[in-house]
Amino acid sequence: MTSRTRALLDWDAEPEEVLGSDATAQRQLAEHARILPVAEVGATVRHLGRRLLRHRGMTLLTALVVTGGAAAAAWLPRLIGGTVDIVQQGGTTDQLIHQALLIMVAGILQAVLTALGWTLVSSLGQRILAGMREDVIDRALDLPAQSMEITGIGDALSRVADDVDVTARAVNNVVPNLLQLGFYIAVTVIGMLTLSPWLLILAAVVLPLYGLSGWWYLRRTAPIYRRERIAMGARAQGLLSAIHGIPTVHAYGIERRETRHVAVLSQTAAVLGMRVMTMVTRLIKFIVWPENLAIALVLILGYAMVHVSDAPVGLVTAAALYVVSLLWPMQAMIFSLDDVQAAAASLTRMVGVIEAIDPAASPGTQRPQDASVRLEQVSHAYGEDADGIERTVLQPLDLEIAAGETIALVGASGAGKSTLAAILTGTLVPRHGRVLHGGADLARADIESIRAHASIVSQDVHVFRGTLAEDLRLARAEASEAEIWAALDRVDAAGWARDLPRGLETEVGEKGIRLSAEQSQQLALARIVLQDPAVLVLDEATADEGSSGARVLERAAWEVARGRTTVIVAHRLSQARHADRILVMADGRVVEEGPHEQLVARGGVYARLWEAWSR
Amino acid sequence: MRRVLDSSSRSARASGSSPSSRPSVMRSIVRNHRRTLPGLLALSFGVEITEMLVPILVGWIIDVGIVQANLWFTLAGAAGVFALRLVSTWGWAAMFAASQRARMFERHRLRVAVTGAVLAPDSTPIQRPAGEVLSIATSDADKASDVMDMLPWVFPASTVVLASALWMAWVDLWLGLATLLGIVVMVLVIRVISPVLSARYDDQQSRAADAAATATDLVHGLRVLQGLGVQSRARAQYRRRSRIALHAALVNARFSGISGGLTTLVTAGMMAAVVIIAAQRTLQGEMNLGTLIAVVGVARNNMGMLQGLSGVPVWWASMSTSGRRVRDLLGDLGRTLDDPRLSLDHLSTARDQRGDARPGERRDGVGGFPVPGLDLTVADGTVLAIACADPRDGEHLVAAIRRHSSLERADLLIEPHLVDLFDGTVIEQLATRAPAGFDEADAAAAMHAAGATDLLEILPEGYETRILDRGANLSGGQRQRLALARAVAADAPVLVLHDPTTAVDAVTEQRIAEAMIAARSLPDRATVLITRSPALLRAADEVVFVQDGAITAHGGHQDLMTLSDYGRTVQR
Repeated sequence: MTSRTRALLDWDAEPEEVLGSDATAQRQLAEHARILPVAEVGATVRHLGRRLLRHRGMTLLTALVVTGGAAAAAWLPRLIGGTVDIVQQGGTTDQLIHQALLIMVAGILQAVLTALGWTLVSSLGQRILAGMREDVIDRALDLPAQSMEITGIGDALSRVADDVDVTARAVNNVVPNLLQLGFYIAVTVIGMLTLSPWLLILAAVVLPLYGLSGWWYLRRTAPIYRRERIAMGARAQGLLSAIHGIPTVHAYGIERRETRHVAVLSQTAAVLGMRVMTMVTRLIKFIVWPENLAIALVLILGYAMVHVSDAPVGLVTAAALYVVSLLWPMQAMIFSLDDVQAAAASLTRMVGVIEAIDPAASPGTQRPQDASVRLEQVSHAYGEDADGIERTVLQPLDLEIAAGETIALVGASGAGKSTLAAILTGTLVPRHGRVLHGGADLARADIESIRAHASIVSQDVHVFRGTLAEDLRLARAEASEAEIWAALDRVDAAGWARDLPRGLETEVGEKGIRLSAEQSQQLALARIVLQDPAVLVLDEATADEGSSGARVLERAAWEVARGRTTVIVAHRLSQARHADRILVMADGRVVEEGPHEQLVARGGVYARLWEAWSR
Repeated sequence: MRRVLDSSSRSARASGSSPSSRPSVMRSIVRNHRRTLPGLLALSFGVEITEMLVPILVGWIIDVGIVQANLWFTLAGAAGVFALRLVSTWGWAAMFAASQRARMFERHRLRVAVTGAVLAPDSTPIQRPAGEVLSIATSDADKASDVMDMLPWVFPASTVVLASALWMAWVDLWLGLATLLGIVVMVLVIRVISPVLSARYDDQQSRAADAAATATDLVHGLRVLQGLGVQSRARAQYRRRSRIALHAALVNARFSGISGGLTTLVTAGMMAAVVIIAAQRTLQGEMNLGTLIAVVGVARNNMGMLQGLSGVPVWWASMSTSGRRVRDLLGDLGRTLDDPRLSLDHLSTARDQRGDARPGERRDGVGGFPVPGLDLTVADGTVLAIACADPRDGEHLVAAIRRHSSLERADLLIEPHLVDLFDGTVIEQLATRAPAGFDEADAAAAMHAAGATDLLEILPEGYETRILDRGANLSGGQRQRLALARAVAADAPVLVLHDPTTAVDAVTEQRIAEAMIAARSLPDRATVLITRSPALLRAADEVVFVQDGAITAHGGHQDLMTLSDYGRTVQR
């Protein structure tokens, strides 16, 4: 029938065939290992239970209202059955009017309770979801970004955005609907059973078949869903990175390759999505049997009830109406199964983050007394190589930095400068040794006071979403406009900031005006001015002054460093020469140490570097 | 000398056509399936009719079979209903599978067309954030394609609802009128509440999207946040947005609830009227019991269908908004959905000029590269460095080369200053545009030229180490060197490098200057370095000094150092 579409997409293809020669896509799809934990279903249910308990009043009210609404809805077939009885027994018009009033009352009750129930379920769901998403972000913000594998960050991103979105959509529509349907079905079944014990036969035959097919469906589709989600994630990532890297894509002429990369992943997701749909058709084709059986049984049992046990015809009518009115909600439930499944998968991922990652707590109560820094036998290594030997990046080191001193770290790539820099501010915890800030051991210090005490600005720049003022107020929430301007002025950014269309209220970041790499780094320095830490580490913070290059960043960096204990990871020796002390690093150790003049005079590694530099 | 290196040379192309004249995405989707749609509609119509017939048949069976004690009729009727529904379900399954295939296909087609259009070099460049493009290519493409889900159901279902009203009128005029009145009231109620509901829903969605974007943004900036130690303030900021989103969601929940209640009320009123009229007629002997049961069953079915249909306007509104968003994005890019170059088979078969799964042969030299905008030709076999007193001139120069060069794309490679690496192993990165037969020896040479040999020791699996998107598992300096190695490996006849060593330390920079220039000094290769790094300038064959957009000096680095302006430019 769909010859056109069938000719273009092979719906029976395996994902591996669709991906073809795209090695990156194959790797992405094969990568099942998730860095962040995923909760067990049981743990997720218990977690939700605890959250519901926190809203126990509302939960109780919701349950009552929804049950009431379902009861009102299930009352209708009974009233209609009653009407049939009145007619059959030749009742009066008055009786009919009485019955009509009851039907109207049932309708109004149902309407009011539906409205209330929907609102309550949705509100409760949204409140719980809001609490969960805030907790996920809470944990995500404490993930060890410096040392963490970036796949972990990607996973964190998908949890704070995609999973929340999937769940929210379910909470909006599916959950209220499903809950009301579920209660309706339960109440209707109970209503049927109270009509006549004969109908028990019907329930006993039909309900297990429903349960069985639902179980079959969920078991078969869950793995398909999982793969579809991975394909969708890779698809989004492929598209984002291609858009982000458009200049490179065009320079290398790889726009078709990148388009195809997105296309094969999109096709994989489509093929997998269609597989789920095929499962749905199979499920419906199967479920029609118990449904039909129910209708046939109600007629045959109806015959038996009327002619064997003298039941009134109205009762059979009510039973038939019950059965017919169950068909639609049952199918609706089946159709919302996939949304439920997606939401459930997302929930386990969110709960996984919340439960498995402990919120960062203070390891102790020590507070730094001054701006000095001391390292005692600090060393660090990443992972282990094939022979089980740690890859040491920093050899044991003792270092004393006086309050207000400026230190420059110099050395080739891979010498361990950035590792040392991260250890100094406490963003990286070393494998061995102690780090002390103003006498306080970081392993026993009050976390917030250390965070406020020492900061690091690195080459990674990021302009936060929102207005310029909001970005800067991340560093100090209560900063006044005058203070913000003063900070911008100190890093030489007031000029361009004033030229922005709406000044401080200009939208910047991904949604707003794009700032250059240099302007972004100026912002980073302005944040430091506002936050005013006692210890500052600049890790190649002025590396990329590609455009205006009037050494603006360098000037700004020195300006910000004034009056603080400062460690500069420098790759321009012009930055290093002004430092009080220079540490020359190679292969994870300090090979030379001293002020510029002294090191130049010594004629060692630094002197040779300086010679090459200033020639 | 000409002064063309000016920002005003940026071409100001008007973006596409006006929005109203752009072709509709929804129409394109439907047109794509115009041959199959009539069949689907017919099938679906049959299914809906059968659903409506079931209560009528059940009423008849109760009347003739049960009330009049006809066991055989009861049994045969039950079997008949069984068979009828079975056939109808098979029909439905075929219809559903076909419409879902169409829907999945359209999602895929829209997504790939948007991707192709955004990445095509001949599209009008747009300034929309990547996140917005992503959401159009994913969620909007999905929603717009839902039209293939909706169409085969909405028209048959509405027709059957109307037909059942007519049947009621045929049974009894008042019944028909009551049903029709119910439908009319329902339509009115829907007309009133749909726009309100849509607005609330949109509000909730945009607040939620805002909160989600904030979350993503904070995680992206995680290193910066942790560097500053302001996690708690970031948390507070997210919480604020999350609460705003929650508020909008709660308002929407209220409106959704009220709307659900209203439609329930209307259908219940209709139901009550139908039951009472039919019962009254039966009591008066004008209608038999079977018809009463049939009427009530049909009315109940109607009730369900109407409630389902009541959601259609909101659904349609969100669908067509999505369709418009796809259309407008394509329009801004100067493209349309039905552009044959955006068709699936074109995009999946057409190949790149270079950098493809099947790379080309090594390109021959171009016999010298006239630099657009400067009165200057770079001869094959030379590495020319251009030092610009004002770094903005450097940027304009790169832009001018990109725009005005007459070389074929395959002959010119301009490595952008801002590094972008794509997901793939180190060797795949290097092979991005390398000529056929690229092997590990070539890779080693390229890594050496970029001073990146140490990277191979640091990375756990050497050449097979997976580099993540945007080089996220590398430092700034490592990223820059890998990109440089990729550019050298491409072995382009003309290579333009713009400040290739800004994130690299002095020691490494010196190494790069020598190795990279040696690697490019082939008799049929020309290289342009736009830089102010003394190490690179010193190693280049020639240096050109540009001030105010024009060449003011030409010679070797050491000669030029005698010029005070030059000295100031390169001194660090």
